[in-house]
Amino acid sequence: MSEKWNIILRIYRQKEGEAPHMDNFQMEVNPDEYVIDAVERAWAFHDRTICFRHACHHSTCGACGMRVNGVEKLTCITLIRDVTYDGATLKVEPLRNFPVVSDLAVDMGLFYRKMEKVDARAVLPVTEAEIENPPRKWASEDSEYIRLSDCIECGLCISACPIMATTPEYLGPAPLAAAQDHGIHRKPELLSIVDCEDGVWRCHSAFECTAVCPSFVDPARRIMDLRKQVVGTRLSKLIGKA
Amino acid sequence: MSRSTLSSPVSGPRPGENTWIWLIKIITGPLLVIVLGLHFVVNHYLGSMSSGLMTYDDVIRYFQNPIIPAIEILFLVTVVTHSLIGLRGIVLDMNPTRTTLTIITWLLVFLGVSAIVYGIWLALTIASLGS
Amino acid sequence: MATTRNQPSARRFWSWFIPIRRDIGSWAFALNRITALGLTFYLFLHLIVLGLLAQGPGAYDSFLALTENPFIKLGEWAVVAAAILHGLNGIRIVLTSFGVGVTRQKQLFYGFMVIAIVVILFFTTKMYIG
Repeated sequence: MSEKWNIILRIYRQKEGEAPHMDNFQMEVNPDEYVIDAVERAWAFHDRTICFRHACHHSTCGACGMRVNGVEKLTCITLIRDVTYDGATLKVEPLRNFPVVSDLAVDMGLFYRKMEKVDARAVLPVTEAEIENPPRKWASEDSEYIRLSDCIECGLCISACPIMATTPEYLGPAPLAAAQDHGIHRKPELLSIVDCEDGVWRCHSAFECTAVCPSFVDPARRIMDLRKQVVGTRLSKLIGKA
Repeated sequence: MSRSTLSSPVSGPRPGENTWIWLIKIITGPLLVIVLGLHFVVNHYLGSMSSGLMTYDDVIRYFQNPIIPAIEILFLVTVVTHSLIGLRGIVLDMNPTRTTLTIITWLLVFLGVSAIVYGIWLALTIASLGS
Repeated sequence: MATTRNQPSARRFWSWFIPIRRDIGSWAFALNRITALGLTFYLFLHLIVLGLLAQGPGAYDSFLALTENPFIKLGEWAVVAAAILHGLNGIRIVLTSFGVGVTRQKQLFYGFMVIAIVVILFFTTKMYIG
């Protein structure tokens, strides 16, 4: 017999031309289900006008990113038990720093364009990926093997970043991490894209992106590494010219 | 109906900040930790007052050694540079228009140069007061 | 279809200083920014006050008497505390920017804050008790 909790699910509602407000749904949930299940339940049994995104339900597609009690989460892998308790409230809002299309669904367009700008890779040769315990030296045929990039482009890092809150021009954690994934030495044209006002220098080491990333990208570490690459490249160019 | 941001162009790269500006900030920072520490110890422990602070006469005497005004001026240049580049960084975080950024940059340059010129004048004046 | 709400805006700069429900790194960022602004204000105030030295012993030494005023003393305490916090957090930023301690940045911050608290307690004792 599975446990049953009674919670109030508070969902952010906003339709075009209307002021935003919160709707409360009194619900019975299984705490070992996920937050996205609760949202789906609210949609299925309470209000069919709730608009939200969901797809794979196993943290691969990145569609279901939302703020749960104010913190960015991938709702398909966030257990209800971990974010609320029996008799309490569970607040669900859309990601920050993206225009709201409807309720919990946000416009990810500019973010995707930034990922395109740095030519973010969805798959990459395993020899170029940062994996645990790589062999000391890759065999030449190993480059035929490919793996999916860790980044699922969910946008949680963009929502959590304090600088993304004040400027839409900043490339942001995920695009910068994707640029680091290429590496300046492999893709020199990235240098001018990231060594600028809206690139690596806008990061102020809050590390919030790494704190919320559900997919082990560790964007903050990658931004720091990208900085090292940028400084190293600029210094060697300077010394090369001198 | 406003268009989706899928069609929004990604701006830049904008030149408002670069490796060199950041490097100056990141190098002056730790330098200041050392120099400010020294400055604080000297001014709060080497003075003749019971609190350790320097009186007017203490300061004049201290400035007779030419190393002292030299170090104080170096300290001033370092701290003004670090502080104003930092301030400009905060402005950049708020996505200023090109015009706003240019105006603020020139204001900060003016403020910084003025502070440094004033500081050099003050250091040399104090040093000369002892003769 | 997209609205203008919820979008990045310079007006949301206040959110830098209220990192509610954020991780410790955001608190470090907020602390660094607040101390930076406080120290910059103090820097220019300090430079102006030092001009009194050029006006002769009377002006400067009577200003020194002000430093015993409890509010001024508290302000001075805050400046030194801010310098220590900003300096140590800045060192954390320098280290992580060059790849040192990136995966341990939280521990680095906590460690530096412990050092900061110890130093602040030390100079507070010196300042108020002697």
